[in-house]
This record gives sequence, C-alpha cells and structure tokens, in this order.
Amino acid sequence: MSIQNLNTFDPFADAIKGSDDDVQDGLVHIRIQQRNGRKTLTTVQGLSSEYDLKKIVRACKKEFACNGTVIEHPEYGEVLQLQGDQRENICQWLTKSGLAKPDQLKVHGF
Amino acid sequence: MTEEDSVFDPTLKKKKKKKKTTFDLDAAFNEGGSIGDAMETSGDKENQEPEAPVPAEDDEALDLENFGRKKKKKKKAFNLDELDAALPDTKKEDVVEQQTEEIVVDDTFDLDMDFSKTKKKKKKKKDLDELVAEEERKEIEDKENEETSWVGSDRDYTYDELLVRVFNIMREKNPDMVAGKKQKFVMRPPQVVRIGTKKTSFANFTEICKTLHRQPKHLLDFLLAELGTSGSVDGNSQLIIKGRFQQKQIENVLRRYIKEYVTCHTCRSPDTILQKDTRLFFLQCETCGSRCSVASIKSGFQAVTGKRAAIRAKTA
Ligand SMILES: [Zn+2]
Repeated sequence: MSIQNLNTFDPFADAIKGSDDDVQDGLVHIRIQQRNGRKTLTTVQGLSSEYDLKKIVRACKKEFACNGTVIEHPEYGEVLQLQGDQRENICQWLTKSGLAKPDQLKVHGF
Repeated sequence: MTEEDSVFDPTLKKKKKKKKTTFDLDAAFNEGGSIGDAMETSGDKENQEPEAPVPAEDDEALDLENFGRKKKKKKKAFNLDELDAALPDTKKEDVVEQQTEEIVVDDTFDLDMDFSKTKKKKKKKKDLDELVAEEERKEIEDKENEETSWVGSDRDYTYDELLVRVFNIMREKNPDMVAGKKQKFVMRPPQVVRIGTKKTSFANFTEICKTLHRQPKHLLDFLLAELGTSGSVDGNSQLIIKGRFQQKQIENVLRRYIKEYVTCHTCRSPDTILQKDTRLFFLQCETCGSRCSVASIKSGFQAVTGKRAAIRAKTA
C-alpha cells in the first residue's frame, strides 16, 4: 500500500478512458449539496469498495442522528448520502474508526 | 502602503509592545523617550491623549486572536537579546534626560496612539488577500517556532531548520521582496447578500474575476461545484446562487480557489496565467516561470435533490 510503485494503478488508464473522473485518485470526497431552502445533504464518495457501506451508513445514521442511504452510481461506485451538513462528523468518524486517514479526506464546500 | 507597513512594522512595534507589557512604567517611559525622540512627532498629542489608553488595551486583547499580530510577537522573542542589550543604554540616557518629564509622558501616549492607528488599519483589512496572507504568515510563524530551538543546544540542526533560517535571513535583508509580493494581493471581499429565503447574490463576482484575472466561467464552475449547488450570472453581472450562503463561507471557497488556481504553487506569486492544454489546466507563473497542472474542477457525485416526479416525467 505504502509503496507507490507496487500499486496496480495503470497511469495510462485515464488517458485511454478519456474521462477525468476521480474514482481512482484515492481520495474520499466529502461534499455538501444544497437542497430546498436551507436544507443540505452530505455525500461521501470514494470509500473503498472493500468496505460494507451499508454497515457504515447504519453506524453513521445512529451516530449523527440523521438519515442516510447508500447509492450505487455507475461512475463513482457506491456513494454514502447523509442528511444535513455532516461533513465535520463524517470526517471525525472516518478517522476515528480507521476507515480513512485524514490526508485521504477531501472536504469540499464552504 | 499598508501592506508594507505590516511587513516593516513588526520589529518596531514588537519592541514597543514587548517593552510595554513586560517592563515596568519606568522602562516604558525611558523607552518612550528614546522612541519619541526618534520619531520627533509633536503638536496635537494632547488632544488625543484621553482616548489613547483605551484603544491600547483593546489592541492587546485583539492581538491574541490576530494571526498577523501573533507572528509579530514571536519575532519579538527573536529581538529579545537586542532589546535587553539596548534597554540599559536607554535607561542611562533617560536618567540624564529625565528633567523633561512632561515630554516623556506625552511620548508614551504617542505610543498608544500608534497602536490604535495600526489597529484600525488591521481591522479594515479583512480582505481575502489579507486572509490568504495570514495563512502564509501562520505557516511561516510555525516554522519560526522550531527554528531557533537548536541554537543553544548540542543537537544537530535539521534541514528544515536551516531552510527556515536562510529564508528568514533573506526576508530580513530584502524587505522589498516580501513587501512587493504582498502588495499585489489587494482584493475586495465578496459582497454576499441573501435574496429572499432560498437564493444568495454574490454581487461583485465579475469584479473579483477581473481582479484575479480568471474567466468568470472558471470561477463559477468552481464555486458551484464546491458549494454543491446551481447558479448563474444575471444581467447586473452578479452571481445568483441557489441556497443560503454567508459571506464568510463564500470567502472560504474563494480562498481555496485562489490557493489552487491563482497563486503560483512554487513562489505564491499571484501573477500567473491559467492555460488549458488538452484536458488539463496549467498554471503558468509569470514571476518564477514555474508551470504546473492544477486539479480539474469536478462536482463529482450529485445526489438527486429535485422533485423526483418531475425528473421521471422528463426522462420518460
Ligand atoms: Zn512562481
């Protein structure tokens, strides 16, 4: 994992595909999204598919006292979706539970 | 001007400050005497005397929270030796000169006034650039902390410490360089007003694009992607964003934009050009000539937020 050269990442895969999606950038993107009025939701994209996201969402819902769901996206894979601005919470939780390192988290928004 | 002040003043002001807080009144008077002589300010000090002490106190409280100021304080530690060395001298001198006590008193008040003046400047400068500059300063400051820790000790210095040291020397010897860099960073803060309950107006959006020398579309893409919302520029060239946002929040996003897409990643100069080459954006620096690719703007996964029925109707 820590040795870059041993990664199975193909540097030309991106060029072949011709799309600049960031599924493989190894980052967990935590975004906020505007809903109606002042309501927001938080999406977490890029969690390793080795994790059981359904379990994660269950834990998060309980922990943050918000609703949430897992959405299967053709391009971005499984995406976690939580109600409200949970960016701070999810960052702490992911770090605390060891699912992601702080430098893997990319928080977007204000 | 003000930028230059903030770069130059630190040592001066620090000295004043340090003396003020740590030494007793006598010392302050002495010091006031010497500095006052140097500054040779006169005239309407008396008019402002009554107000002066109060602002000075405020200043100190504020300073604790102000990053820019903090750095100055740190630097003080640097000058301490000098100060200590200098103090006895001034004391001696002043013992001789102390016949004119009134003047001495005036001078101390003068000092206070100085603080309040600089404070005002500080407060006004809530500009973005100021914030960015603060960030930079904070980083520098952190480094400065580590910097001298090896001086008195047996241990070897590290590469980083030497690096910090050489940069500090460079800055000391070339104040113009530092000042010149900061001066270019003058930008108005975003004017953000809410429209109704659901929309936000970013009134000087186009103006800010011009200051940053960036295409409005590029900044727009970034803002909307980061804020996870939609919006457009209206007839009055203001940006209307869906959702409620505060100026502080927009400022945060702008600051990140500037860091990634405006200032050079190598030398931090804002004198850069953003070029699109094939699918990637490159940041070309006009100051140091560095050229590096910058992250492309992606909004990533977008959850369904609209009325599902409407979407179904559209796609069906
Ligand atoms: Zn540069």
